Amino acid sequence: MNQEDLLENERVEKILSPHPLSFMRLQSLCIFLIVWGVLIGWLVNFSEYKDFFNNEWYVILVWGLVLMLVGVIASLVTIRWSIFFFYLGVFAGGVGLLLWQNWQDNIGVFIPFYTVAFSIIGFLIVELYRRSHKYIISNLRVIFKGGVVTKRERTLRYDKITDIDAKQGILGQIFGFGTIIPISQSGFGLGSDKSFAAGGVSLGEKKVKFLGLFGGGKDVQTPRARSYYELHGVHPYKEVKKIVENLVQGSVITPYQQEQVAYQKEQVDIQKQMRDLLKKQAELKEENEQENMDEEEN
Amino acid sequence: MASSPVDIVIFAPLAPILGVLLFWFIQLLFIESQKYLLSKIWEKHKPLCRFTNFLGVLFQTICHALGYTVTRSGISQFEITVDYGKVSPKKEKGGAFEWLSNSFLLFGPFFIPPLLLLICLYFLVGGLEFSVPDIIKLQEDLYFSFAGQMNVFGHNLFNFSEKFFDFLLNIDFLHPAHLGFILLIIFLGMGIRPSYIGKEKQEKVNMIYDLKNIKNHILQKPLYIILLFLFTYLIFYLFFGLEQRWFHIPFSIFGWLSIIAIISLLITQAIILLIKITDEIPNPWKFLPYLNIPISYILMRTFFLYYFIDFAKKGSLLIMILSTVLVIILLLKYKTNKFKTKTDMKKLKKVEDGADESGRPVRK
Repeated sequence: MNQEDLLENERVEKILSPHPLSFMRLQSLCIFLIVWGVLIGWLVNFSEYKDFFNNEWYVILVWGLVLMLVGVIASLVTIRWSIFFFYLGVFAGGVGLLLWQNWQDNIGVFIPFYTVAFSIIGFLIVELYRRSHKYIISNLRVIFKGGVVTKRERTLRYDKITDIDAKQGILGQIFGFGTIIPISQSGFGLGSDKSFAAGGVSLGEKKVKFLGLFGGGKDVQTPRARSYYELHGVHPYKEVKKIVENLVQGSVITPYQQEQVAYQKEQVDIQKQMRDLLKKQAELKEENEQENMDEEEN
Repeated sequence: MASSPVDIVIFAPLAPILGVLLFWFIQLLFIESQKYLLSKIWEKHKPLCRFTNFLGVLFQTICHALGYTVTRSGISQFEITVDYGKVSPKKEKGGAFEWLSNSFLLFGPFFIPPLLLLICLYFLVGGLEFSVPDIIKLQEDLYFSFAGQMNVFGHNLFNFSEKFFDFLLNIDFLHPAHLGFILLIIFLGMGIRPSYIGKEKQEKVNMIYDLKNIKNHILQKPLYIILLFLFTYLIFYLFFGLEQRWFHIPFSIFGWLSIIAIISLLITQAIILLIKITDEIPNPWKFLPYLNIPISYILMRTFFLYYFIDFAKKGSLLIMILSTVLVIILLLKYKTNKFKTKTDMKKLKKVEDGADESGRPVRK
């Protein structure tokens, strides 16, 4: 961070970026591609089932089916259809390239190499994405910076933080990183989990039909933010958490401090009342003196 | 030769139990040496040690949960972290149920991970079967004697070990299932232990601690142990009455599990030892042994593809291991002060700034 970006009396406490393993969700998509690429290569070229794959369309079919199946399962589990579309893209790209270049005869080499190459590119993109994150913790605020192409920046003052959500997965516990989500007064840092259940019923024979649909939904508020707007996978987690909590605590008035402020306010009010009384007393005294002087003159 | 009644009534059922206990104790010793090695690399490889802790805790917690499920106590809370695991039952059950679920917690971590490996082995190796040696088949009474039981137990262990070692020696790292199995052996081998090595190195959780826990568990309810023994004896008498030769089967499985666990622990320890030794080698040379493992294996397999020999897989494995050991020895000799003669050491001592004339690091 440049010196000119800092505010008056601002001091940088820590500059952080996510741990290399903190984006394991994305990296695992690429790991699967590597494993599947190697496995399909072995199945088609070396295994006892290689005769089954003499027809190149069987290779494409098995390769694509497994990709789609894993894509659908992963999408359903994580409720992210982008995973499915990612694998669909890999499959479509592979088939497109294969047909375009007429590499059907070398399918046993092309499919594994293409899959592994795609996963390596995926790894590089994830790494680029990870490196685009930068979190600056100063004594006045937290600055979240990021973006590969479009640059984003979020600044959060400690006195605006109402809650801190911190989580550490198993990998985080092993490698000492974790995610800290500061929730602002405006609710930034909160997401919602929605679940919906529906049931349908159909009654009647050919002519008379009755169709009913009933269902219900539930909405649960949960701390959630994009990795650009949270301290995602920061290391060392415990130390960073303590720093942030101390800084937030330092910006919040404690009950004792609130009591002291109220007491001081009361003191000021009393002093003001006393000043007014003294003023009035002085005025009365002055008036009396004036009256006495007038009487003496008369 | 007829067995004596005393032998049949008292000693014969004891034979496989003693065999299982012996192998379990050997397993315990290997676990202890693994914990010792892990404590040695704790400072430099905290994530790895935490990972092994997590695996240990994971198996322990799963076994505890399994215990509550088997005793129909239900599970109200299931929590695992790197440092500890917690399982709470839905219904607090006392007596035998509590004892059984605690037994799962104490003994499960020794046998559940190797059981998973045994299932994989069943599909990979095939032909894992229980048998009775011919000599015992010929003399009918011999099976129901101490010597006969020992013989059958040993015979089954030998048969299994033969197949298992043959599989390990002929393992094909270029076969996904074999590679997966070896990775699983390493993965599970790190978690075969009933207690973790502790967040801090100083914490003393050793074999004595484990044995003390087991002793307390047994002494807490000695009646259940006596009942268990009685049940085993009853089963033996039942088989004797029905002239069925199945008594050795469950004990043989436990023996197999111990053998798998011991091999798994040995492989894991070899890896921990490799990590410990390479820590002494300066960067970037320390990565050379790790690179040598896949490169030498693939090179040898490619070589044997063109110059085919019958023992290509065994040869490749052997050359991979030997070349890795050689690379480590050479690196230790030329990049550290290990294997240095006295005169060399004196010469090195003269240099004060942490490196000798040739730039090698000097241990101060």
